[in-house]
Amino acid sequence: MHEWSVAEGILRSVIEWAKENNLDSVRKVKVAIPSFTFLELDILKEAYDTLKRGTVLEKSSLEVVYKDPLFKCRNCGNTFNLNQVLGELNEVREEFGEEYPLHLVPGLAPAFIKCPKCGSNDVEVSPQDITIEEVEVNGTAGSSG
Amino acid sequence: MEPLEALARTKLSNKRVIAVMSAKGGVGKSIISALLSLSFSSSRQTTLIDLDIHTMASTKLFGLEGKVHEVNKKGIVPFSFGKLGVISLGGIVKDRYVVLPGSNTRDVMQSLIAYSDVGEIIVFDLPPGLGDEVLLLEHLTDFTPIVVTIPSKVSVKVVEYLLRYLKERGKRPVLVVNMAYFDCNGKKARPFGGMDYVKNVSEKYGLSLVEAPIDPEIEDYIGRIHEYNGVVRSKIKEVENLVGFPPYSSS
Repeated sequence: MHEWSVAEGILRSVIEWAKENNLDSVRKVKVAIPSFTFLELDILKEAYDTLKRGTVLEKSSLEVVYKDPLFKCRNCGNTFNLNQVLGELNEVREEFGEEYPLHLVPGLAPAFIKCPKCGSNDVEVSPQDITIEEVEVNGTAGSSG
Repeated sequence: MEPLEALARTKLSNKRVIAVMSAKGGVGKSIISALLSLSFSSSRQTTLIDLDIHTMASTKLFGLEGKVHEVNKKGIVPFSFGKLGVISLGGIVKDRYVVLPGSNTRDVMQSLIAYSDVGEIIVFDLPPGLGDEVLLLEHLTDFTPIVVTIPSKVSVKVVEYLLRYLKERGKRPVLVVNMAYFDCNGKKARPFGGMDYVKNVSEKYGLSLVEAPIDPEIEDYIGRIHEYNGVVRSKIKEVENLVGFPPYSSS
């Protein structure tokens, strides 16, 4: 169900941007989502299509790309990828079920992911935000900034 | 364009936002936040959001340890106590410790705001200090500050940093002096020091001041603070009256 909040955030953000730029029609929105949030694409699109009605995004489509984070331990300098901590993430998912913490708040990643080399939680995660990568308006495409 | 920020702004727009804050730790912000929220909730739908994401005291005060927030289409569902809803990171991570690099704390606080289903009055319980939590709230909304201290000189001196900052930002907080006195058969004993210094500071900044007493019975209500109706709660009612209900902003 968290997908509905995410969809609302995406829509609000683009509606504000369109208003600031005096645009009256958006064709496509491309967003990037951290893969470790395990957001359900079908629910996100259903929420987007429901909430966009009556807005400048009414005729727009949503494209989602998943981005795998890269981790860097600030304690020992080790860099590692998602596969190396998948076991830890799966344990958290098993404990919490559908509303597991990183699904709701991806910024919590360092609290749940330890460096495989030294065990520190002082881990920098990038990228971890839900970001709008591109918005297409009347045949033009631009970066969201 | 930042979806999280846009959503957080939306959640706070047209709401009455109160921030309970202090530059000093250990002065009782969480208890004041809880009692003030309960006070507001006697008449209006109120949400207490615990932004102290490392200690999450509100879950302890309300007996919510180990409980997990439900999530629906409107977002994170607050734990409910009549017209009061309580949102805490504790309801997302249960009893797990939360250790985070500084760069992540702002994201986590903003997520809590953005994804919560909130009422018409929102009370934030802030962590001690002058960090991201203050800057984030300033960035998102025009909040009313409630600054908490105890009468000790060192506490008031530290809290003065915050008062000076708020003044520079055009805000005039209500100053709550917690644990100000102990009622000994009608006579006020002041174990943390007299009120002269704190009164000078409140006059210097032109602030309203509320003295809240020490009530040892409050300890019996940790875990069920919503049932507490003692002297501290009635004193905190004065804060609600001072804050009042000016028209909501339309931003």
